Order: sequence, then C-alpha cells, then structure tokens
Amino acid sequence: MACTILIVDDHPSFRASARVVLESDGFDVVGEAADGASAIQECCRLRPQVVLLDVQLPDIDGFDVCEQITAHVEHPVVIMTSSRDSSDFGPLVSTSGACGFVPKAELSGERVQELISA
Amino acid sequence: MTGLRRALGLVAIEGIVVGLVALAIILSSDHVDGKALSAALTLFVGWSWIGVGLYAWWRRPDNRFGVLMTAVGFAFFLMALTAADARWLFTVGVILSSVYAAVFVHMLLSYPDGRIGSPAIRRLVAAGYTLSVLGPLPTLMFADIEEKGCENCPVPTIFVADDGTAFTILNTLTTLSAVVVVGYVLYIVIQRWQDAAQAQRRAMAPVMWSGVCLLVLLAGSLTSEAVDGPDVVYNVTSLLALIFFALTPYGFLFGLLRSRVVQAGAVTELLHRMGEGSDRSGLREMLSTALGDRSLQVVYWLEDKRRWVDAAGRPTSLPGDDDPARAVTRVEREGRAVGAIVHDRALCEDPELVRSVAAATGLSIENERLQAQLRARVEELRASRARIVEAGTAERRRLERNLHDGAQQRLVALSLTMRLAQSKLHQDPDTAAKLLGGAQEELTRALEELRELARGIHPAVLSDRGLAPALEALAGRSPVPVELAGTPRERLPPAVEAAAYFVVAEALTNVVKYAKASQARVQVSRSNGHAIVEVADDGCGGADPDRGSGLRGLADRISALDGTLELRSPEGAGTLLRAEIPV
Repeated sequence: MACTILIVDDHPSFRASARVVLESDGFDVVGEAADGASAIQECCRLRPQVVLLDVQLPDIDGFDVCEQITAHVEHPVVIMTSSRDSSDFGPLVSTSGACGFVPKAELSGERVQELISA
Repeated sequence: MTGLRRALGLVAIEGIVVGLVALAIILSSDHVDGKALSAALTLFVGWSWIGVGLYAWWRRPDNRFGVLMTAVGFAFFLMALTAADARWLFTVGVILSSVYAAVFVHMLLSYPDGRIGSPAIRRLVAAGYTLSVLGPLPTLMFADIEEKGCENCPVPTIFVADDGTAFTILNTLTTLSAVVVVGYVLYIVIQRWQDAAQAQRRAMAPVMWSGVCLLVLLAGSLTSEAVDGPDVVYNVTSLLALIFFALTPYGFLFGLLRSRVVQAGAVTELLHRMGEGSDRSGLREMLSTALGDRSLQVVYWLEDKRRWVDAAGRPTSLPGDDDPARAVTRVEREGRAVGAIVHDRALCEDPELVRSVAAATGLSIENERLQAQLRARVEELRASRARIVEAGTAERRRLERNLHDGAQQRLVALSLTMRLAQSKLHQDPDTAAKLLGGAQEELTRALEELRELARGIHPAVLSDRGLAPALEALAGRSPVPVELAGTPRERLPPAVEAAAYFVVAEALTNVVKYAKASQARVQVSRSNGHAIVEVADDGCGGADPDRGSGLRGLADRISALDGTLELRSPEGAGTLLRAEIPV
C-alpha cells in the first residue's frame, strides 16, 4: 500500500509540483494545507503517515507546527522543507521533532523514503 | 504716532477752551455762592481728569481707558452749566450735571483695558447713564428749587408744579435705583479685586481704591438724600466725594509713573546682568526675574520651518489670544520675528515693560534662536538618520521576501519539473515534452520577476543612460498616461539622479494606486542650482503626506541631500509632488 502524505506550503505552485513529483514516485498525496493552523487540522482529520512541512508559513512558524503535530503519541513522520538550505536553520530541524529536512529543489520520492527509513 | 499727538493736542486745546467757558459761566452767574472757590474747584477737577486722561491715552493708545478718563473731565465741565442764568441752559445743566459720575462708573467697570466684557456690565453702564440723566428730573419738574437750597436760581423750563407728593415718590424712586446701581458696581469692583493676581492688583490699586472710596461716599450721600437726612451729612459727604474725585486721576498717574520707574530699573538690571555674560539657562532666568514671572518661557521662531521651538529645538505652540492665563509678546530684530516671550497675562497691564525687556534682549534671543535652530536641525537629522537605517533594514527585508516568494519559488518548481521530465524522458517522451514546455514558461516568469526586482533596487538604465531614458521607461510602464514635459540635457550627480528617479517612481505608483487620475505630468528642470522634480496629476487630490512609508522615505532621502519635498494635494484638485534638490 502506498505511503500517505500531506503537503503543507503556502505557495500553490510548489504544492502542485510536489504533488506530481511524489505521486509519480509512488506516494499517495492525501491532502494539502496552505498554513500552520489548517496543517494541524488536516493532520488530525486525514491521519497521514508523512507530513511534508514548509518552514516559512504565513501564520505559525513551521517548527512550531512540527512540535504541535509530533506532541501526540501516534504522530506522523514530519519532513521539513524549504527553498532555503538546512544550514540556514542551525539546530532547529533536529530539535523540532522532525525526522529530517529536504531542500525544495531536491524533493523526490526517493529522498523522502530515505528519511523515513533512516 | 505724530497723527495721534496732533489729535491729542487738539483735544487738549478743546479741554482748555471748555474749561475757560465753564469759568466764564460760573463767574458771570447770579446764583452761585463763592464763585471763585467754585470756579477754581471745577477747573482743577476737570483739567486734572482731562490732563491725566490725555497722558494715559498717549502712553497706551490702544487702551481706551485714557479716552474714558478724558471724557470724565469733559463731562465734569458740564456741571458748570448749572451756574448759567438762562432758564433753558440752567435746566440742561442740571439734567447733565451727574453725567460725569456715570462716565466714571463706565471707566471703573471697563478697567483695565477700557473695554466692557459682558452684556450684563454693558447694561449696568447703560443704567448708570440713564439714571444720571433721570435723577435731577423730579426736582426740576415738581420742586421749588429755591426751597431746595438754590437761591436766585432761574425757574427750570420743564417745571410743572410744586407738588410735594409727586416729588417725593419720583425722587425716592430714582435715588433708590441709583443706590442699587452704585451698590452693584461696588460689588463687581470688589469681586474683580479678589479675582486679580498679585501683579494685577499692584497695577489696579490706585484706580480701584479711589473708585471704591468714591462709590462709598456717593452711596452715602445718595442714601442720606433718599432718607432726607440732615443737610450737613449731605454736604460733608459730597465735599469728601469731590476731594476723592479730584485726587483719583493723580492716583492713576502715580500708578503709571511707578510702573515706568520699576520698568526702567528692571531693564537697567537686565542689561547689566546680560553684560556680565551668563550661560544659556540664564536668559530665561533673567527675563523671569526682570518681569517677576516665574512661569515665563522663551520660544524661538524658525523661519525655514515656519514653526516655534523651545530652547532645546523641540516644536512648541504659542497660547492663543483667548488663553485666560498666558499671553505672548513677540520679539523682532530688524523687522524679522526671532522669538517670543510667553508670560503671565497679568503682565499685559504693563505692555511697555514687556516690550522694553523684549527689545533689550533682542540680540540674546537672536543668538538663542540660532542655537535652537541648530538643535532642531540636529534633532531632525538624528530622527531622519534613524529612519534611513530603519528604511534600509525594511528594504532588505522586502527584497529577501520578494526573492523568496517570487523567483526562488519559481526556480524550485522548475527544478522539480525538470527532474520529473528527466525521469520520464525514455518511457514517456510526450509527458516529458509537456513538462519541459511548462518549465520554459516558468523560467520566463522567473526572469521577469527578477528584472522587476533588480529595477526596484536600482534601474540600470538610469546609471547607464541617464535620467531622461529612465523616466521614459518609467512613464512607458505606467498604466496611467504620463506626459514627460522635460528633463535636463546634461547628466546630474548620480545621487541626485537616483533621488529624482525615485521621486517620480513613488509619485507615479501613488497616482496609479490612489489618485483616480486620467493623466499625469512629469517635469525635471534645473533652476538656481537646484534640480526641481515635479509630478502632477488631475486626480482626486486629498493625499495624506503621512500615509504609508513611501513619502516619508522619499522625504528622508531628499533631506539627506539637503533638499526639500513638498506635497500639495487639495481635495478634488489633483496632486503635485515637488522636490528641490541642490546640485
């Protein structure tokens, strides 16, 4: 069974591209969210296995969203993403409860799979 | 001033003539006892009032108090007509013989500036005049005046009959009314005294106290008359009243002279202390001591900013004309406003003192003004520098945001699409070709956004080709038609060109966003060593200079080049943004 994934990003163009890329690599994109609040809501509703979460969201900071999502006992795997490089964020990625970071330009099903299995 | 002097001279001559006429009437009278004493007293009192009144009028031409004093003197001479032998003249004389008292009450109630404030006081003054004329009528119409102590007096022309009842009723009525009026006046005068500040009381004292004494005596004599008391009371009190009345103008003269002496002393002391040279806080202190006003403030006029500032250069405002506590005396040098002294309104009683002190400190105030101007400029520079730094930070934030949200996102999407296309190249060449087509479009849009962003940072055409082509390009991109009315042929310094360009860019952005204009006109010219940038539109006007940070940022940019930015935007009549930048 394909792995379910929720895409969270405020740029529609990225959400569209990411959906095509991930679906073509065998993921099941179950939903999209454009800001932090709806990301948390959709997470509870859709219960995806993976959340691809943008760092910079219009309402709540992506790291805070990640902390809230991973606070539950049965929480999905969160993978942070950004058009910036992970070095721009220092230790924030590892302390936020996310399982990894993938730069937007390098997003692929393979990279996501690697991070989940790690 | 000479006009006033000539006019006052004429009034003085009239006063002398009127006095001499009064003298002639008294001396030629058939029914006056002790003609010489009576004539001497009349002349002394009349001329005293006229003389001191004219002096006060001359010293304070804008104060009607002197006019009223002079009028009291003239009205007093009317009393001489009671000495006339002709029946009609005697009658008129008796009717008008108390008018001087009404003018005196008028003067007392309009102290210190010669004006009557409230309608109630105005009615009181009118009642005084009416009663002064009505008062003698019962005697003239219904009494035998020989019986009333006027031996050999002519029979009044308005004599009706010797009717004791009518006389008593009418006379009691007028006398009681007069007592009420005098009592009310006394009440008001005493109330004013209680309300007055210390400085005011000092100036009021001579007039107020002689006025009060006079009123008390007048009330006493009227009461004794109304109750038909013994004649001796009447005569003694009226003699005392006359003496007080004769001395009142001298009391006022004393007050005037004393203020001049005090004033001369204060100015001398001030000049002496200024000569010793004291520190900056000293000027306010010295003025405050010289004028006896602890609350005194000195403010300075900045001509270029058209505003008042305090010694530290902070903008401040002057109290209005209707401020009950504070008043302003402006200080000028060579016809230019340099500053103002804000002081207790009580000092307005002594305008000459404040004026002489202001004149004596003119040079110091001018120096202080230059210092205040410098401080205001420093304060302004400090604020503008802080704003420029803040604007720089905000601009970098905006650029980062624009890059991140715009071109960077498109390139990310492009990267993903390319990767996808690559993976499909062999199994599904059609999809790969479609993906590459989309990538091409995305790339075009990313380039467009980068170009727009770069232009906002600094337009390359401006540095490469100059202001004219840059403005043409700007006009060409504007959705509102723009007429480029003129640009200088030669190149201007880069900072000036950039400032001019951004003035036009910001103005045109505002025209498109807010003005609802059908067209705009841009002109850049050189005049008197300045580049003048003007952007006008035919839109709705009413632009608020504080709206948004755009204009503020521009103003800072222009002021960093020592230029000025001006916005004229009357409601409904278009907007003109004009910058003047020194070249």
